[in-house]
Amino acid sequence: MSALGHLIEEEGIATVAIALVRPQAERTRPPRALWVPFELGRPFGPPSDPAFQTGVIRAALGLLESGAGPVLLTDFPADDPRETPDPGWRPPIEAGAYRDGEAEALADAVQAELWELASAYAASCTARGRSTVGLSTLAPAACGEYVAAWLRGTSTGNAPPSPVPDLSPILCLRFAIDDLKAYALEAALAGGGSPSSRQLGDWLWNETATGAAIHELRRRLVAGEDERAKQIAGMFLVPALRLAG
Amino acid sequence: MRLDRLPPAQAERYGALECPDFTTTPWVEGPPLAARRIAIVSSAGLVRRGERPFRGREADYRVIPATTPANELLCSHISINFDRTGFQEDWNVVFPLDRLNELVAMGAIGSVAANHYSFMGATDPAEMENAAREVAGNLRRDGVDGVILPPV
Repeated sequence: MSALGHLIEEEGIATVAIALVRPQAERTRPPRALWVPFELGRPFGPPSDPAFQTGVIRAALGLLESGAGPVLLTDFPADDPRETPDPGWRPPIEAGAYRDGEAEALADAVQAELWELASAYAASCTARGRSTVGLSTLAPAACGEYVAAWLRGTSTGNAPPSPVPDLSPILCLRFAIDDLKAYALEAALAGGGSPSSRQLGDWLWNETATGAAIHELRRRLVAGEDERAKQIAGMFLVPALRLAG
Repeated sequence: MRLDRLPPAQAERYGALECPDFTTTPWVEGPPLAARRIAIVSSAGLVRRGERPFRGREADYRVIPATTPANELLCSHISINFDRTGFQEDWNVVFPLDRLNELVAMGAIGSVAANHYSFMGATDPAEMENAAREVAGNLRRDGVDGVILPPV
């Protein structure tokens, strides 16, 4: 973040910011910044491409040796090759067909899908040596149970109690949904290939029970009476790009 | 991000995002890169597994020791409108610790900091000032003389 560059440099340490949104860097004017043309979420470009990532880092750190400031903003010249879809990539399970409004059926389907994805998720974790599932602190199956309980509860207006002592029900739902998205998307990496983020997102949001269930929960909670649930569901469950209209 | 590839309304929103107005232009120089100690200060809302995730626009920060295994790092940034699949596949997309360690081995940079840091980038920068200056003090005590600041 460009603002942190100002503050840390004022304290006597040289900084270089990676800028994803060029007009922001132009206006914030950090001491040094490298604008990169990559999508949001990928400041160092493509995953699993160490040479490309190293090129970005060297370009950024190189600005620390430039005497051309204060205020130095340069552009990284190459695009992220992983923004191009991989026609050979295949999702880990067949596409499902889910209808809006059927919360009970989606509650069952989202839990069943977790098991369908389990071997792909395990293989993916082994291949990558890691997982990013864990914000809720619940196991994936427990995340599925909790999301299913919310789907069923929205029919009666009752939020299920949070299984995590430190989290309110709606906050636990938010983190459980973050974990379910990560679980499915990590499973989708098991088949290899080089899918773009758009390909992976199209699969999650258009073809899986997980995506359909999250959409359904958002619709129900946004239409409900609980203002806090409305706010969290409205902002933190479905990306703006995936909202119809 | 190439704004000219976005729908016009979306590009306009990103282009018009509110930015802090700084009156100073600090500029610190230092030794050649091959002698510098480099730290990552991320604004991706990174937390270590089991740590309290960022829950909103919070102004504090998390410490990420250089010994943190990749499997222990999670992203709790509150925005859901950026790609997470890159980080899911390879943590270096957001937190390039492996790449920095390779640069040390190549002799391109001097060393990597003992601790790295993460903020929640959606927070108002004015509210982050005290924490940022505190982090700067920690970096100075660690001998850091170069910081790379990746967003998401």
